[in-house]
Amino acid sequence: MSKPVHLLSALVFAGLLFAGSLGAADQCLICHTGQGDKPSALFRHDVHFLKGIPCSGCHGGNPNAAEVEQAMNPKEGFIGVPKGDNVSRMCAACHSDSARMRRLGSSLPTDQLESLQSSVHGRLSISGSERLARCTTCHGAHGIRRVKDPLSPVSPLNVVRTCAHCHSNAAFMRMYNPSLAVDQVEKYRTSVHGTRNAKGDVKVAECASCHGSHDIHSAKDVKSRVYPTNIPSTCSTCHGNAAYMVEYHIPTDQFEKFSKSVHGVALLQKGDLGAPACNSCHGNHGAAPPGIESVSKVCGSCHALNADLFSASPHKKVFDEADLPECETCHGNHEIVAATDKLLGVTPEAVCSQCHSPEENPRGYAAARLMRQLTDSLQSSEKRAASLVSEAEQKGMEISEAKFKLRDARQARMQARTMVHAFDPKKFEEVADRGLGVAGVVQVEAQQSVDEYYFRRVGLLAATLIITTLAVSLYLLIRRIERKQRALNHVGRRT
Amino acid sequence: MIPFWKRAYNWIDERVELEGLVHFLGKKYVPVHRHSLWYYFGGVSLFLFIIQVVTGILLLMYYKGSEELSFESIQFIMSKVQFGWLIRSIHSWTANLFILAAMIHMFSVFFEKAYRKPRELTWLTGMLMFFLALGFGFSGYLLPWNELSFFATKVGTDIAGVIPVIGKLVMPFLRGGDEVSGATLSRFFGFHVAVFPGIFAVFLGIHLLLVQRQGMSEPLGTAKEGGDEFMTMPFFPNFLLRDLLLWLIVLNLLAILAVFFPWELGRKADPFAPAPAGIKPEWYFLFVFQTLKYIPAKLWVVDGEVLGILLFGIAGLLLLLVPFWDRKSSRGQENRFITYLGIFIVLYIIGFTILGWVV
Amino acid sequence: MNESAEPSFRQSKRDFLKYVLGGGLLAWITAVVYPILAYLKPPKQSEAKISSVKAGTLKDIPKDSGTIVRFGNKPAILIRTAQGKLRAFTATCTHLDCTVQYRKDMGLIWCACHNGKYDLNGRNIAGPPPRPLTALRVIVHGDDIFISNQP
Repeated sequence: MSKPVHLLSALVFAGLLFAGSLGAADQCLICHTGQGDKPSALFRHDVHFLKGIPCSGCHGGNPNAAEVEQAMNPKEGFIGVPKGDNVSRMCAACHSDSARMRRLGSSLPTDQLESLQSSVHGRLSISGSERLARCTTCHGAHGIRRVKDPLSPVSPLNVVRTCAHCHSNAAFMRMYNPSLAVDQVEKYRTSVHGTRNAKGDVKVAECASCHGSHDIHSAKDVKSRVYPTNIPSTCSTCHGNAAYMVEYHIPTDQFEKFSKSVHGVALLQKGDLGAPACNSCHGNHGAAPPGIESVSKVCGSCHALNADLFSASPHKKVFDEADLPECETCHGNHEIVAATDKLLGVTPEAVCSQCHSPEENPRGYAAARLMRQLTDSLQSSEKRAASLVSEAEQKGMEISEAKFKLRDARQARMQARTMVHAFDPKKFEEVADRGLGVAGVVQVEAQQSVDEYYFRRVGLLAATLIITTLAVSLYLLIRRIERKQRALNHVGRRT
Repeated sequence: MIPFWKRAYNWIDERVELEGLVHFLGKKYVPVHRHSLWYYFGGVSLFLFIIQVVTGILLLMYYKGSEELSFESIQFIMSKVQFGWLIRSIHSWTANLFILAAMIHMFSVFFEKAYRKPRELTWLTGMLMFFLALGFGFSGYLLPWNELSFFATKVGTDIAGVIPVIGKLVMPFLRGGDEVSGATLSRFFGFHVAVFPGIFAVFLGIHLLLVQRQGMSEPLGTAKEGGDEFMTMPFFPNFLLRDLLLWLIVLNLLAILAVFFPWELGRKADPFAPAPAGIKPEWYFLFVFQTLKYIPAKLWVVDGEVLGILLFGIAGLLLLLVPFWDRKSSRGQENRFITYLGIFIVLYIIGFTILGWVV
Repeated sequence: MNESAEPSFRQSKRDFLKYVLGGGLLAWITAVVYPILAYLKPPKQSEAKISSVKAGTLKDIPKDSGTIVRFGNKPAILIRTAQGKLRAFTATCTHLDCTVQYRKDMGLIWCACHNGKYDLNGRNIAGPPPRPLTALRVIVHGDDIFISNQP
């Protein structure tokens, strides 16, 4: 701790001693009440006053001296109104000292100043001499009450207004972050949380429930509770707590389902910040479940192509009439898994067959069956091409070009899967045929490469046969020449 | 009517007097004894060298000696060019077999003391060609510019850099800079396809001329066993046809190796990547590499690596000059010391090569 | 009788050997020369290049357009902005490896598979792509445009 803080804590402690020994005969309060000023009136309801901490606990001076000159004399330790960061330091003299807090009978945490200093409010400043927020900014100065006290500015019902004091003030916010929205409260009041809060429900989420209190960080900061990867667990502190949520009669397994879903895996396991968290579909300050009409718009904000295709498809009208949520009907909501080809078609596990049967809906039935067949054959011919390519590769053949083309087949399959949402067999066939064509070409090339491998071996065999024949006949030739030479006594003669 | 080939022969004979050469060849004899087998390794080395020249020229048609393109150009040869895989694999395999054959040839000459008077010059040119062959191997290894060759060259040139006095000059000369880079590749390419072949051709010419002029050496020991005279066979056609027969077999072996064990290309060298584990030089440098690993870093006041390189340098020099200090063999006496020394060298090389391979 | 039979047998054997030897030699020459001639025949595809490729000439690519070029094993996209600036990126969508394209109407790089969008600096700005496209270097030599992955 720095020196001035030491001094301050000594001061506060001296004040407490005085107060203890001399009872309630606090000359500061007596005199100031007599003058009728606001701080002294408010202080009588202050939790600190009720705990026996006098004015001098924060302001210094001698509470026993009746004379102003003596009581408010700097020589007696009077410091007047603490300015800037000294306010927080003054509070921290007690609130950051766990031993002292225990002695005063408090079980409050003691890391508030530390949290505040590392928070976005503690780090931002304009003048450079003081931090953006100090304790009194939110808690007030003389009428400080317990957080649970309904009259406290940071109580669940009041905290929204307290935060909004700055955050809804565009002129003020511009000084710090011109691009930050100032409509959070407005949105909040439209949310389920906000409407219930307005009705006096202290259990619903308010600002601090999600953003934290002393340790608030920018949403772009990985430490923030509202950083994309942290949002699901932040929401689930309440929404995953069955006991807490019991009176609201809504499921509490969303987090569990979400973390298994394709979105949850992408966000929580792969750290893909582009993947949606809770707020991407439900909104953040204006959080509410998307209505039936808006589901496809919400999903379509990312899956735009699928949404566009769907909107132009014959299903759009039928779904709207039947009051079916568009994407959700086939894909589910929180537990959305990566869509597989199994969803398509007329097999029992395919979603199409839920409505389309050969008797009732023969056209849709035929279309679903055709699209599934095409997808399957696209997949199997791509697979066959890929296995031929890898066979050629394993045989040590250079086949990077066919491998390159294989990408196009894959791409066509991807596009075909998207094209399903048009529910138009003609369009689907177009894309699928392109993929089938490419896969066929790759198959041919890979097969050629594999054939080349065997050609090399056959070639070697042929060359070996030729060389062996030549070698054997050469050997016979040598033998014959030498036989002839021996007859003529050429070989074996001595030089 | 005179056959065509006879007329052609006459036509040439009238102009360059082939008769003398044919007469000379006709009178050339090769000694036949129990060590005759070793005579063939010179011929095999020659054949392998011819293959290297042919396949090397073919590779030059597509190879590009630059940092960006050499790897890709070899990939291209291996995949796109018809039979490119064959040419490249044969070139790589032949390089190794050539060094092996040359080594066997050299040691057979050494053990038979065939370097003795009057064949000192044949030995000298042969040894110089062998050193050049090592240079061919070292420079050619880098040309595909893959990971292994890059780091092997780094280590190899590092070793050249610690040679006392001249090392500091030799290393930048070899590398074309302070580090192994594209400049090194350009240099090695130049050495491999222009400098070395030029010098090699001169030595090879002298070497072959001397062999033809002086005939095959007759081993010292066999002279005693066989009495005063030797069993012989005519060089032409008996020995030459045998040579050709062996060459055919070697060619077939090469084709088999190229098809069943195509030479790998590996991954492209990345000068900034960490060295992969298990960097080893080509097998014929392995015993030197392994020895240097075993020499302690400091021996008294001398740097261990420097000492090792000096020792190998001296050993090489002694081997090169053996005809000049082995007086006994030149007088026609048997020199057992040379035999034991040779056995020691062979066992040392084999032992340390295996060690380097296994460890 | 015997003496006359022997030479004729020898004669036929010699001829046979001669034919085999001659035929073998011919076959062998074919086996050596054919691969060499085939090797010397330039392959259809142009030569090997990867770390930099020629993407075309300035004439090929008008302002406000893009083109896909092969870059080694992967596609690359070369874009000429409406202002005439040349840019190149790997054309592999960072979402699911589809090949992206330039959309003149959007002024963006767009992936057809899932409507991923990248701005003309390669940054992923909409849709599912999790990462930006890798930028490649564009070098202009006279009229020729080269793309290189060397920084």
